[in-house]
Amino acid sequence: MAKKQANPGRKRAGAVKAAKTSPAMRGFYILIGVIAVVGIGALSYLSARPKQAAAEWDSTLPKLTAMGHLEGSDSAKLEVIEFADFECPACGQFATLTEPDVRTHLIDSGVVAIRFMDFPLPMHANTWYAHRAAWCAADQGKFWPMHDAIYNYQDSWNTEATNDPNKVLSGIAKGVGLNMDQYAACIAAKKYQAQIQANATEAQNRQVDQTPTFVFGSKVIGGYETFDQFRANVEEAIAAKAAAAKAAAKK
Amino acid sequence: MTKRMTLAVLALLGTLLAAYLTLHDMGIIGTLACGSGDCEIVQTSRWSMLFGVHVAVWGVAYYALIFVVAMAAAQEQFAADRRLSLALVGLTGWGVIFSGWLTYLELFRIHAICRWCVGSASIVAVLFVLSVLDFRDQPRPVIGE
Repeated sequence: MAKKQANPGRKRAGAVKAAKTSPAMRGFYILIGVIAVVGIGALSYLSARPKQAAAEWDSTLPKLTAMGHLEGSDSAKLEVIEFADFECPACGQFATLTEPDVRTHLIDSGVVAIRFMDFPLPMHANTWYAHRAAWCAADQGKFWPMHDAIYNYQDSWNTEATNDPNKVLSGIAKGVGLNMDQYAACIAAKKYQAQIQANATEAQNRQVDQTPTFVFGSKVIGGYETFDQFRANVEEAIAAKAAAAKAAAKK
Repeated sequence: MTKRMTLAVLALLGTLLAAYLTLHDMGIIGTLACGSGDCEIVQTSRWSMLFGVHVAVWGVAYYALIFVVAMAAAQEQFAADRRLSLALVGLTGWGVIFSGWLTYLELFRIHAICRWCVGSASIVAVLFVLSVLDFRDQPRPVIGE
């Protein structure tokens, strides 16, 4: 008797459950599930895909004739070339987030030297002012402090911030401790315009089309680099250089 | 499929799109560089941050909130819940205003258009239209009831 009573109860519970999830709702949940799985799968695939496509540095072209600015020892194990635009936020991110670690761990220990090459992009209206300001600081032996300050205060002198970048950059130059009379004369005369243009021409000759672009030995990599990515590329380039030297010695 | 179900599906697509842009900003997808495309210009501009957080991250939170509300609204027991319709109109209306502001910045301040941002603005516009239609479908409350 008790058994007979239990069965209808179970049936009623099943009927209520079935009524809660209609076929339309089931189809909807399946659709949501499929979109979520496919979407998360696509994002995971894109995240795992190698994103830094390296190009080959054309060694058949003559060596750099424009000189840029070198930070570190000229006898470092590897010289990394950086083509950069002062108004580019990705270059700013590298200068403010990655470069301090590069200095501490790779430049100060003599492993790496970085050669900064100007590549002012046409899409940044104020960038030439900043490149000229940096070169005028170099005139007084203070390129790197000015380089750091220009990137640190990028938001205060860039195209979105001001129509008078020279005024803001003068304030930055003063903060760096430059002789302001000498600086003002250098800026007014556009003293280093030709050098900046020469650096940019080097970039164009080598089909560099984005900033920052780094050259590690024979490998050219475009885009922002974290410290770990930068160090891995440095280690790979030094190993390749050592292998090439060993092979040359065998011959 | 009901309007509320469509809202949930579109909000989920918006969440995935905003997640893509967030991962791109973090350098996990693609590369962060200048000169390589309009999305990079937009995403590296000073307007890409709001209260110290990237706009794309705000986008993930925004779409996720709409998704949660729309999922609740899509349940059969809430089919006649006018408050959920009103919440969806409010949320998506705010999204239309904010997307309009971002599109203005792209056109007149940054001078570059990112196709993913256009995609997001389109999703928000459709969400708003669907929310208004859903609100109109709801029976008006009887005064004194």
